[in-house]
Amino acid sequence: MEDLNLKLKGMSCASCANSIERALLNVPGVVEGNVNFSSDRATVRYDPKQTNINIITKAVVDIGYEAQVIPADLGIEDDAGNRAQQLEERNLQRRVLVGAVLSSLLVIGSLSHFSLTLPSSLAGLENPWVQLALTSPVQFWVGREFQQSAWKAFRHRTADMNTLIALGTSIAFFYSLWVTIDPSYFTTQGLLAEVYYEATATIITLTLLGRWLENRAKGATSTAITALMGLQAKTARVIRDNAEIDIPIAEVALADIVMVRPGEKIPVDGEVVSGYSTVDESMLTGESFPVTKQIGDEVVGATLNKTGSFRFRATKIGKDTALAQIVKLVQQAQNSKAPIQRLADNITSWFVPVIIAIAITTFVVWFLAIGNFTLSIVTTVGVLIIACPCALGLATPTSVTVGIGKGAEQGILIKAAESLELARKIQTIVLDKTGTITQGKPVVTDTSSVLDLIPSSPGVLDPLTLWRSIGALESNSEHPLAEALLQYARDRTKDAQLPTVEQFEAIAGSGVKGIVEGRQVWIGTQRWFDEMNINSSVFLAQKSELEDAGKTVVFVAVEGHLQAAIAVADTVKSTSARAIRTLQKMGLEVVMLTGDNQRTAKAIAERVGIKRVLAEVRPDQKVQMIQTLQIDEKKVVAMVGDGINDAPALAQADVGMAIGTGTDVAIAASDITLISGDLQGVVTAIRLSRATMQNIQQNLFWAFAYNVLGIPIAAGVLFPITGWLLNPAIAGAAMAFSSISVVLNALRLKGVKI
Amino acid sequence: MKVAAVLVGTMISIAQMGGDPMKMSPSNPNRSFQPIEQPLPVKVGVVLGGLTLVGAELWWFLGRKQQKQQATQTNGVQEVLITVDGGYRPDRIVVVVDEPVRLAFRRLDRNACLDEVLIPDFGISSRLPIGQTTTVEFTPNQVGEYTFTCGMRMFRGVIEVKAT
Repeated sequence: MEDLNLKLKGMSCASCANSIERALLNVPGVVEGNVNFSSDRATVRYDPKQTNINIITKAVVDIGYEAQVIPADLGIEDDAGNRAQQLEERNLQRRVLVGAVLSSLLVIGSLSHFSLTLPSSLAGLENPWVQLALTSPVQFWVGREFQQSAWKAFRHRTADMNTLIALGTSIAFFYSLWVTIDPSYFTTQGLLAEVYYEATATIITLTLLGRWLENRAKGATSTAITALMGLQAKTARVIRDNAEIDIPIAEVALADIVMVRPGEKIPVDGEVVSGYSTVDESMLTGESFPVTKQIGDEVVGATLNKTGSFRFRATKIGKDTALAQIVKLVQQAQNSKAPIQRLADNITSWFVPVIIAIAITTFVVWFLAIGNFTLSIVTTVGVLIIACPCALGLATPTSVTVGIGKGAEQGILIKAAESLELARKIQTIVLDKTGTITQGKPVVTDTSSVLDLIPSSPGVLDPLTLWRSIGALESNSEHPLAEALLQYARDRTKDAQLPTVEQFEAIAGSGVKGIVEGRQVWIGTQRWFDEMNINSSVFLAQKSELEDAGKTVVFVAVEGHLQAAIAVADTVKSTSARAIRTLQKMGLEVVMLTGDNQRTAKAIAERVGIKRVLAEVRPDQKVQMIQTLQIDEKKVVAMVGDGINDAPALAQADVGMAIGTGTDVAIAASDITLISGDLQGVVTAIRLSRATMQNIQQNLFWAFAYNVLGIPIAAGVLFPITGWLLNPAIAGAAMAFSSISVVLNALRLKGVKI
Repeated sequence: MKVAAVLVGTMISIAQMGGDPMKMSPSNPNRSFQPIEQPLPVKVGVVLGGLTLVGAELWWFLGRKQQKQQATQTNGVQEVLITVDGGYRPDRIVVVVDEPVRLAFRRLDRNACLDEVLIPDFGISSRLPIGQTTTVEFTPNQVGEYTFTCGMRMFRGVIEVKAT
């Protein structure tokens, strides 16, 4: 049995769907046929031995519909959509060109209105009948869509910018036609028998050109998404039945073992099962340094493998991959509504009807005041043409799309336009310590052998043997600090085989002990060592100094002899201090929030330049702390923390920013996710917010200014004072460029340095 | 893009060759607008005609009633087919809360404004290719009214979410 998807054309109602279904089922060999009316599709299951695709499609065509086979790969259908779009664009381009040529001739022909004498070879262009012949194709072919759309909208009792363009140009055209046919009617009244063909043609051409430019620019506003989706690899090399095969990425299944060679893209998310390499994750995290990957590490689809080969087990595929999640988030955010947008939203629905009312009023007022029919017509057309509701409608969404896209490129995922708007207003920024300012992973920072202090101490092991023992012992422990000691021991012993441990014992709050290579080894606190009468006073001064720096100190003894002191600490991320300094320079108060003790917290805060520290705060108290800042100090508060432990505080803050670990992008509580885990992202997010909001304000300002200034000038308010009137053709140009300028200004955001 | 910009520039400068663009003023004898005394009945006629037109136009465009349609249930999904032709028909969609909604937009109008449909409250924006039916899906979890609009927010419709 094989399945076939058909794209159908010509269905006008649900009963058509039924008759196509019947026709399909009547074909011998077709076992199932379903027609979906709303999606114009049919799915057919058939026996390839009895029938084929051609027979099936012919059955549909025979009863009067069109059927087209949809290839199994959906990508191709999208290409067909793109082709239609391209065709449409080429058609638009051709009409703009024809319009431009004819309009230019008409403008030359109208120069005589301005006391310019044309050379005799061009004098024919001044003839109104010649101008009529030149204008008609522009009016009825180039600008056909304005009238069609306006008429459709009119019947539906709505009005949009096409209504304005169609009305304006039609009035100018038919007025000119009247003058052309019966000039004496005007001259006998004392009016000039002048035509405005050039205005009609120029308005249509410029508006169309504006639309064409706008379409192209609008496409560019969402390039971030296209770029993100383009990151994905097309194929994956998986191991099936002990053989390596290349398969399309869509066919990768969960738990497949995938091979990746140097220079290849990682197809889906997964966990490394063998091999070692460095991976460039900058496309997702913005982090420029390659990350090393070894067994057990997570790899993310769409990132680039650099140096080595490795195999990994697919853990997330299809729409669950980090990349798919990011694309979805960004798309949703780009389409979300910024509160500032509501202003423009409400205007546009009654904008056009009101403009038409103003245009009619303009006509009446001028007719009463001066009685000059031509002047009334010119001002009316000007008002209709210069009003530009589109610019108002485009002002906010285009900037939001560009701003959120730009964020995504830098590893900053903004969940909604509202957060983008709020981030600009942040006054206080609360940073969680562990994992936000610091790495969130303790490492050995200092080691000191007893031999450094008392060179003749008895029973001290050589460093290699000592660290082998420490590594062996700690590999049995589950204490958070054990991981740090084990890692350090591995590095020191160059990954030598660790010996086995006998009689391992962990004493909570004190340390661990056991027998390694026949020797009794202890690792633990000073208090524990005191209890066991192992004198560690030699390290006293050093210990106190290290603890003041926020480090935890443990001691090591072998066979009752003190060996070494080891300091373990959660290190500050290399970028934290600089990012915090920048935030403070931007005028924000930076506060550190931690569950850790005062001493450790102070030490870290000092190193990164934070003055205000809220230490010893239990996780459930974090929400209260944020509330206090919001209510008592009346501040707009942003909280930066890891998305899981700090979720309630993130949700309570005006803007919650989650520091991601590369893949946890869909962290629900946060408004903004910083994929790279770098505090510099906070700076970038706030700068991005400021830049985007400024951009929106500029857009709204221009859009309003065009209308507020343009409409009265077009209506001739300045005519009695200065003698100024707006040439309808110039009104057309202004209208066309209002939308383009808004879109271009939004695109400027892409280049803004943040 | 650059070619287009040059083209625009050229066209504007051609349009401006005719002199000061803002000025079709009395200083220019050919295109001056002479005052003409119109007879009173004509004036009254123009005023009345104008007022009627304004009234009719505002009534026509602003006084429109929305076309309401209840979604039909198929396989647990609430479906509505919306024709996009000079606006959205129907433009008031009634659905119930907490059940998936599938809106099928069939676009027949070439109007560039209608090229995109936005439902901001559900984070949806979708291009509607001409002559095709494009579906969007979402699940409303709150009773209320949500607007959907075209890319430029000129055409609009409402999704009315009711309690079950």
